[in-house]
Amino acid sequence: MALGKSAAVVIGSFPLGESDRVVTFYSRDFGKIRGVAKASRRIRSRFAGALELFTLGEMVFFDTGRSELVRIDHFDVLHPFDRVRRDLERLGQASWIVECVARLTAEHDRHVALYALLVRSLRALEGPVPPARVAVCFGVRALETLGHRPRLDACTVCGRAYPFPRPALGAGGVVCEACAREDAGMVTARPATLAAFEWLRSERWEEALVMPIGRSENEIGAFLDAQVSRLIGQPTRTAKFLRDVRRLEPTSGVSP
Amino acid sequence: MTYYPEPVARLIEALQQLPGIGPKTAQRLTFFLLKRPVEEVRELSESLLAVKDRIVSCRTCFNVTEGDPCRICADPARDARLLCVVEEPNDLLAMERTGEYRGRYHVLLGALSPLDGVGPDDIKVKELLARLEGGETAEVILATNPNVEGEATALYLAKLLRPLGIRITRIARGLPVGGDLEYADQVTLSKALEGRREIG
Ligand SMILES: [Zn+2]
Ligand SMILES: [Zn+2]
Repeated sequence: MALGKSAAVVIGSFPLGESDRVVTFYSRDFGKIRGVAKASRRIRSRFAGALELFTLGEMVFFDTGRSELVRIDHFDVLHPFDRVRRDLERLGQASWIVECVARLTAEHDRHVALYALLVRSLRALEGPVPPARVAVCFGVRALETLGHRPRLDACTVCGRAYPFPRPALGAGGVVCEACAREDAGMVTARPATLAAFEWLRSERWEEALVMPIGRSENEIGAFLDAQVSRLIGQPTRTAKFLRDVRRLEPTSGVSP
Repeated sequence: MTYYPEPVARLIEALQQLPGIGPKTAQRLTFFLLKRPVEEVRELSESLLAVKDRIVSCRTCFNVTEGDPCRICADPARDARLLCVVEEPNDLLAMERTGEYRGRYHVLLGALSPLDGVGPDDIKVKELLARLEGGETAEVILATNPNVEGEATALYLAKLLRPLGIRITRIARGLPVGGDLEYADQVTLSKALEGRREIG
């Protein structure tokens, strides 16, 4: 039995019983934590709206040790990130980011760098940078942080050193033309896209957000979504949501 | 659960399928029912069947009803120029309890949710559009929940309906964020309805 305290972001929730909620947090000091927030669905709850998706706060929880779920005692809002919820594209991209964090990490597995990346990305989504770019920058770095960095220096199948002509992107990284031919799941990638991927990974965050990379952004977005889907064993839910809401505005069709 | 007699295990299993009911509660309910008089339990099982036999979804507004169209859709005294969009039948009841609203409803039977992969095709959006193309409606009041899913749904509908040239309003933000509409008291909800503002 222990009392814990940490800064944390709300990354999901679902209703429990009459008026409670099970809330998933990504915390700085404990990684992913799931807990019960009693009576939080009441209109006048002591959590008073604090447990909305994307909210950053200071969480106090009690771990009884008898259940996977902790008891959420307090959550004091540090930053609500409410601007992220005010348009569908921002909301969709922020949800993709949060889905990656929720589904690529295990409970109580601490990754301070991932936590910092999450907060930084939410912050960027409140600013002028197009939301799809923020998600792509997040995705490139999140895979790296979690040890899933795609291999871009050699064919992941036969080991042939890159550069080679007509590269493709597949499971785990770049694939040469001969190996790609045997696997239907590959997407051809322009060399410019592979270069852009490297830049987004290694440049300063602020640079990566604004660097002009043209349609490589879409290609990297699609590749990242495919990578994440492969790692979690099913398509991401938020990519479907983004496709659905974009049908209203065919011009903003960027991935993920 | 093999040590329970088969009918007991079966009821526990069935109750566990209900939302918010875990194995412990299902056990408690089962043993509670075992102790009750048989008439009482029969009444319960008959009312369970009656909702499935007699209650349908209104094909116009998707409210739960005994007759189709429902009482509200069939009532000529209700203002057909006002259409209030809610997520669930419970929210419609909450609006009705205020006694303030005299228009009609459209129940979406859900809300958009990126993290659950719920898109517009998974709720009654197409049906809403079809109703509005009928032409009687002058104002659509978006009364979805004041949480992420409800706000996303309102944003989406405002954008979708804008080309129709109908006035679109959102119930006031005075409702506390994160709560369920069905838990709002009548005064708060009346105020939110009164203070609705144009969106989109
Ligand atoms: Zn190869
Ligand atoms: Zn009806």
